Amino acid sequence: MTDERMDEILGAEDELVPSSGFLASVMERVRKEAAAPPPIPFPWKRAVPGIVVATGVFGWSAVEFARRIGPAMGSVTLPPVQLSAALVRPLEQAGWVVAACALSIATWLLSRRLAR
Amino acid sequence: MQPALESCCRTALEVGMSTTAQNAAGNVVDADAADVSRVLAGDVNAFEGIVRRWQGPMVNMAWRYCRDRARAEDLAQEALVRAWRGLATWRQESSFSTWLFALAANVCRNDLKRFPAVNLPIEKIAEPARAADQQTKAEERSRYEVVRRAVLALPRRYREPVVLFYFHEKDVAAAARTMGLPEGTVKARLSRARELLRRRFPGLEKERAGIKMREEAGA
Repeated sequence: MTDERMDEILGAEDELVPSSGFLASVMERVRKEAAAPPPIPFPWKRAVPGIVVATGVFGWSAVEFARRIGPAMGSVTLPPVQLSAALVRPLEQAGWVVAACALSIATWLLSRRLAR
Repeated sequence: MQPALESCCRTALEVGMSTTAQNAAGNVVDADAADVSRVLAGDVNAFEGIVRRWQGPMVNMAWRYCRDRARAEDLAQEALVRAWRGLATWRQESSFSTWLFALAANVCRNDLKRFPAVNLPIEKIAEPARAADQQTKAEERSRYEVVRRAVLALPRRYREPVVLFYFHEKDVAAAARTMGLPEGTVKARLSRARELLRRRFPGLEKERAGIKMREEAGA
């Protein structure tokens, strides 16, 4: 099929005329949206103190947790694992690959969710 | 099937034709700008002028994306409502039509991503059966429709350049502006799309040649 033939088939189409109620239905939607009250803005003034308090509590909890668990963890001694360097290096690399893949998937899923 | 208004604007503004055409295009541009200003000033009814002028092109553009009349009207309506919501974002650097077509293309593209118009890959689309010698106009139209539907089965990156190229009356620059892509990219994708269609429908050209030969022999 040459370009001319393709132009002949794809280029020549009858023009559609919108149905008689199209204009009215668009305007109805527009007027409805115009008449709707504006969206309620996020109450930042009320939320900010709560966010500050929550952040403080989480931070304090994290510090306390680290303080209590830290010494206990220090007393635990795990048996050393002996792995040859030939095995450790590919494992390290595989770990980075897995981490990069996981990060990419997470970013992709997040962007899809935000785009909706 | 370039919409008359768009065609009129392009002719007068970009090519530079008769004074009458320039006046007509100028009137459309002025009317759009004036209506947008009125809407932004709070006059909702002024949007009716915009809908009246652009409803045809919007529906026809959406039709080329999905080839389903009801769905095309829904998509066109959605595009116009979104245009109303986002009128303040039109920065008058580009023409109103460019902005509106880009917005409508985005609406169609996103909708078709969720619900494709054709679920078959292009390789699975059957070539229309060879026509009989006495092929009627209706038969020919239905065979052409198969080719037009096959465009919707093209991979997404090749489908849209074809849809918009023919919607904009074979104007690559206009199609590129609507897609927000460089002209070179659109040309390359268009060429690849044509190649895919050519491979899918090799019989149509042969058949055309046969019809011409018969016509010449008859004459």
